[in-house]
Amino acid sequence: MIKRASIFVLLAQLTLLALPRGVAASSDDQEKFDALHHSANAYYLDIAPLDPIELPRIFIVRYEDGSYGLNLFRSTSSAILNGHYVSEIDAGHGGEVQGDDHEVEGDTHAETQGGITGEITGELIGEITTAQLEGHLVPPGGSHVVLDLSISRHLFFAWLAMGIVLLIMTRLAGMYKKGIGRETAPRGLFQNMFEGMVVFIRDDIVKPNLGDKTDKYLPYLLTAFFFILTANLLGLVPFGATATSNLMVTVVLASFTFVFTQLGGTKTYWMHIFWPPGIPTFVKPILMPVEVLGILTKPIALAIRLFANMTAGHLVILSLIGLIFSFTNIFGSGAGYGVAPVSVAFALFIYFLELLVSFIQAYVFTMLSALFIGMAIQEHEAHDDAHQEQQIEASASPEAEPVFAN
Amino acid sequence: MDPSALAFLGAGLGAGLVALGAGLGIGKLAGPAMEATARQPEATGDIRTSMIIAAALIEGVALFGLVICIILATK
Repeated sequence: MIKRASIFVLLAQLTLLALPRGVAASSDDQEKFDALHHSANAYYLDIAPLDPIELPRIFIVRYEDGSYGLNLFRSTSSAILNGHYVSEIDAGHGGEVQGDDHEVEGDTHAETQGGITGEITGELIGEITTAQLEGHLVPPGGSHVVLDLSISRHLFFAWLAMGIVLLIMTRLAGMYKKGIGRETAPRGLFQNMFEGMVVFIRDDIVKPNLGDKTDKYLPYLLTAFFFILTANLLGLVPFGATATSNLMVTVVLASFTFVFTQLGGTKTYWMHIFWPPGIPTFVKPILMPVEVLGILTKPIALAIRLFANMTAGHLVILSLIGLIFSFTNIFGSGAGYGVAPVSVAFALFIYFLELLVSFIQAYVFTMLSALFIGMAIQEHEAHDDAHQEQQIEASASPEAEPVFAN
Repeated sequence: MDPSALAFLGAGLGAGLVALGAGLGIGKLAGPAMEATARQPEATGDIRTSMIIAAALIEGVALFGLVICIILATK
């Protein structure tokens, strides 16, 4: 009992420690509101109050004389110190540069915030400042970066999510191959937990949309579901980042669905796009571009939906916490203390909402992917009513319960 | 007035209108879906599926609006 309590205390402390940097970002009312910046991508792992762990920087550079080269650095500071790269501080975050003299002016601020302003603006970490770490790296001389392959925070957490999924799923697949779970009851925490989810996805999401092609697309859809879920949940862990709140990650995921949809497309599918049946001929050329656009908007909406949902939750939490500091700045520390419980309560509520959203968005992505693929690989035309009725009659078995019994 | 101020104003108003439209749309959808589920609990699965598909389409349009707002706000 005591052990469990101490774990909770530790967790609570870790959570509190994780906050200051995010808070600091929005604490200065003269800065741009920086919650957006905090939830954005960066080239370090934020483990405040410890110094950030910098991630490797990889650049493909085109030198002045026209030759190409690969520049590899262990970290951003190494790129600046050894590679003579220059860190250009983004104009959008001008507040970070001005912040220095603001800190000098606002003694009261420094007191209430415990010098956090200084930390974000230009505190030395190792041999470079935080502002330099946030900045955009420019190579020396006349050379310029052709391709930036640097490992970013989101990429790191995407890899982490992949690793976790791979580790759990290969182990479970091995267990099923041995017969545990097929001939016996599922064994252990993980198998019991995941079997429920996998069966739900297969029977409730994929099968109604894909029918007898279920087995062909189930591996992809399951992988997508568990990767998105893991990535979403990693963002809710202290010190974590949400890989799915990066538009590039979601675009790649959606493009997989796009490719599967087009590859699986039947003759009927393509005919419905380029020469839709059942309408007057003069309308067909008008409808064709609309249908072609429709192919593209589906995956784009899929990518943006996931991205927006995962970004929005974090922004709301940061904004709610930032309210405390805005109130402190405007009305004094008393108002700050007054607002704090309300802010924290709402932030906690949004946090739980985000936990729910993590599952819902993974579900929605899988569901819509299955739907789009299902629409493309459908052999029978949906509007062919006579045909459909025949099918229903044929598939209705005697023991099947009539749906409209009452 | 600074033109970028108008852009911020437009982004804020736009985001509000987008939220209003999406809320109305999904509300109109979810209410009858729940009524239908209450009337016919055995069709819950089908109703949920078609509700989510329609909700996703509404949300898709709302998200396009939202992206324009974000682009305006970060200009």
